Amino acid sequence: MLSRLAAWWRRVRFDRDMEAEFRFHVERETEKWIDAGLPPDEARERAMSSFGPMDKHKADMREARGISWVDELVQDVRYGARTLTKNPGYAALAVLTLGLGIGANTAIFSVINGVLLKPLPYEHGDRLVVVRQSAPLSGQNTLGVAIAEYFDYREQADVFDGLVEYHQMNFDLLNRGEPDRVSTGVVSANFFDLLGITPVIGRTFVASDDVPGAEAVLVLSHTYWRTKFGGDSNIVGQVFEMNDRPHRVIGVLPNVPHYPQENDVYMPVLACPFRAAAERTIPQNRRAFGGLSVFGRVKEGHTHEAAASAIATINQRFTADHAGVYRTATSGFQATTVDVRSALTEGARELLLILMGITSLVLLIACANVANLTLARMLGRDRELALRSALGAGRGRLVRQLLTESTLLAAAGGVVGVVFAMATIGMLTTFVGRFTARTGEVSIDLPVLGFTMLASIVTGLLFGTLPALGTRVNLTTALKQGSNQAGDGSGRRRMQGALIVAQVAVSVVLLVGAGLLLASFYRLQQVDAGYRSEGVLSAQVYGNFSRYGNINALRRLYLPILDRLEGQPGVVSAAITNAVPLAGSAPGTTRFDIDGRVTDDPDRRPTTDVRVASDKYFDTIGIPVVSGRAFGALDTAESLPVVVINRSMARYWDGTDPVGTRLSLNRGETWLTVVGVVGDVRQFGLAQETVAQLYLPLSQSPFNLAGQVLVRTAGSPAGFAPLLRETVHAVDPNQPVENVQTLDDLRSEALAAPRLTATLLSVFAGLALLVTLAGIGGVIATSVTQRTREFGVRMALGASRQAVMAMVLRQGLVLVGMGLAVGIIGAAVAGRVLSAYLYQTTPRDPLIIAGVVAAFLAAATLACLAPARRATTVDPLIALRTE
Amino acid sequence: MPPKSLDLLQGTLDLLILRTLALGPMHGWGISQRIQQMSQDVLRVNQGSLYPALQRLETAGWIESEWGASENNRQAKFYQLTKTGQKQLRAETESWTRMTEAVGKVLRASEGGA
Repeated sequence: MLSRLAAWWRRVRFDRDMEAEFRFHVERETEKWIDAGLPPDEARERAMSSFGPMDKHKADMREARGISWVDELVQDVRYGARTLTKNPGYAALAVLTLGLGIGANTAIFSVINGVLLKPLPYEHGDRLVVVRQSAPLSGQNTLGVAIAEYFDYREQADVFDGLVEYHQMNFDLLNRGEPDRVSTGVVSANFFDLLGITPVIGRTFVASDDVPGAEAVLVLSHTYWRTKFGGDSNIVGQVFEMNDRPHRVIGVLPNVPHYPQENDVYMPVLACPFRAAAERTIPQNRRAFGGLSVFGRVKEGHTHEAAASAIATINQRFTADHAGVYRTATSGFQATTVDVRSALTEGARELLLILMGITSLVLLIACANVANLTLARMLGRDRELALRSALGAGRGRLVRQLLTESTLLAAAGGVVGVVFAMATIGMLTTFVGRFTARTGEVSIDLPVLGFTMLASIVTGLLFGTLPALGTRVNLTTALKQGSNQAGDGSGRRRMQGALIVAQVAVSVVLLVGAGLLLASFYRLQQVDAGYRSEGVLSAQVYGNFSRYGNINALRRLYLPILDRLEGQPGVVSAAITNAVPLAGSAPGTTRFDIDGRVTDDPDRRPTTDVRVASDKYFDTIGIPVVSGRAFGALDTAESLPVVVINRSMARYWDGTDPVGTRLSLNRGETWLTVVGVVGDVRQFGLAQETVAQLYLPLSQSPFNLAGQVLVRTAGSPAGFAPLLRETVHAVDPNQPVENVQTLDDLRSEALAAPRLTATLLSVFAGLALLVTLAGIGGVIATSVTQRTREFGVRMALGASRQAVMAMVLRQGLVLVGMGLAVGIIGAAVAGRVLSAYLYQTTPRDPLIIAGVVAAFLAAATLACLAPARRATTVDPLIALRTE
Repeated sequence: MPPKSLDLLQGTLDLLILRTLALGPMHGWGISQRIQQMSQDVLRVNQGSLYPALQRLETAGWIESEWGASENNRQAKFYQLTKTGQKQLRAETESWTRMTEAVGKVLRASEGGA
């Protein structure tokens, strides 16, 4: 700044000096003529005219003085801006192309910055780790921590400032209006202290809140407090009913993201009835309540490796002490620690990096294209450049001028890019939100803008340098030749060709990627999930344990609901089960024995996923009965215990008919008769292979269930939602009804992530294709213009129009062909990173590659056709006269 | 009307300016007048060449400038030779003499041959 000020001051003084000097000169000259006898007016006029144009002299003097680089830069920028505004078409195309490229990169980077790069919004967030248990030999990558295990870690590890537990429950909160089902974080008393979170009102938990007999207390999340209580500052001290006990609000959390999950309210560990009940059963079941998350803050001065190995050692100790429980030889049960930050983002990391790679490829193509545009434009600028160099501009100066222009374009592209990023960031965060909890922190902030600026500058240099390298202007030839013929341009043409080959290659990689994802998405969409989703409405009706603590109580809730629903007009059938298809997280693995094939080898006993379903479940959701029968009204608590199994499970009968045989889920204590086999359902996701499943009738089930009500309606299922709520509330006015959704919506929800991934990549690939085609067309067009004379001569010598056209097309298609060859190799390599996102599609799907090649050739032919046709319309006479 | 004046080549003008300034500090107008006088009106200095040349010589460090009172008692920018400027003048004078002699020889030789 100071140096610029100084430069400005020097320039002002220099100009003033020049003016004074010139004035003096003219005055002296005037005096001379007056002395010689001329009248003053005439003398002055004579002096002025002999002096000549003052401004020109000033400019010459400035140049002789040698101007500072700042002045030169200002001059360059001014000159560049003038040149660009004189070519609005070129400038607009370049800015738009670059803007899209830079914008896509900015948007993706803002997500990467928010999700992967920003530190956790907690004090000492970098020292927070999560205990990760796994049993790789049993195929379980993450295994929740049981209460007893947490106690062992907490008591024996000394590398932590503290270890805390967390689990999430859903409870009904009563007091204001409709019963509200709140997601509840159940946490150790020192949980918030360990994370360094201080409340905005009131306090968080202290040790005395978490002792038997303590008053039940709640801490509210900032969002819940704002949305449900309007930010009421008198909230602290208010009492709500939860789990049939009064709970007093003691504080409100600040507006920070919650990890591992967002919750409405928090309660201390002992206030959770499930957790408290499970703790009492530890002597019989060491793995009681094995669903805790355990977080720790590594002590200052200790490494994360030390923390991981401490946890691993403790794990080895207790698994050895309870070898019968853990059977490490077959399960591989083990433990380590993972940074909370990477644990939260591992689902999104790879996808984000892939997206970043894709957008940088798009930007590269944009660069290549603008470089090509610039090269093409420079053919027409040779004379200008030659002239400037004749007027004393050095080669360095010319290169700098070109770079200034490209940087100007890139900067404008950067501005367009930021606007583009702002417009798309919302969509992008929703998308990435399916893979990580950290999207709340995504914003276009300073680091992101810094990235955009850097990207713009690098972009400008990148596409500016290439054409600048070709500025070896040959003065004499350029000045002598006509503007159409300036320079031989062969080096430049070769560079243009190389850029086209590169663009085509990169586009092919992107197109093949997009093709793979689209094919995979299409196959996923075509998957027969095993049920008919149309016309079915679903809702969660979870009976709270305090009132519906066992299956008999639940039956008293659910059976009347089903009765009333079936009586509603427009209802074809209604059912209840414990999870709607596609919504399950992981299949259960309950071991069972088939009558007559009982084995004692624990590892050879088959497992199944146990479901509970009401009578009409299979009808309602459209699962076909393959053999035998489904449940009916005759299967009651008093009648023969029966089950229905799915096809996958029937395989354990080794080809014999399971219908009529018996199986046991409790080592032969009770036997259940198989009455039917039904079709397989994709319970856990469209891409997940079906597993063995077993259905118990609601009327006989010994197990509790969190009920999903399903209603098949004659009309629009979505329109039935109010009636569904009413019906449930007629049975129990305090019963929450949540997540009312049609099965169609659920299915489309399940496809949302792959659909978006495929759409994003397709958009980028489409963009790349368009930009590349425009580039090919442009290059061929300039080459046709340059070769006008040659075509004229050829046609004068008898070449047919077709021959000329073929020549032009060949020129374009040879480049495209080379690009395709390189691109296919690139796609084969790059396709591998996509394999995790592909469903029944190999990364080297020959059909897709062939399709991309064919489509590209066709599109490129079209792009070359217009200039090729122009080549054939050359009038030999005119062409020959063109000089 | 004086005889048609000759345009000066760039290097020549530099030499003449240095030579003029060897006589003592002088402002721009004075330099042009003096060159014209000394050449008996054959050489006329175009102001468009003079001032940039002065600037160039100053940038090169052969002359330096200073504001002072002129002969008619007004502020004028005076130029004077520096040490290196004097050296430059000697070197350029010598090479100029050698060149003109050489050109003269050639011209005379071809005259003789004709």
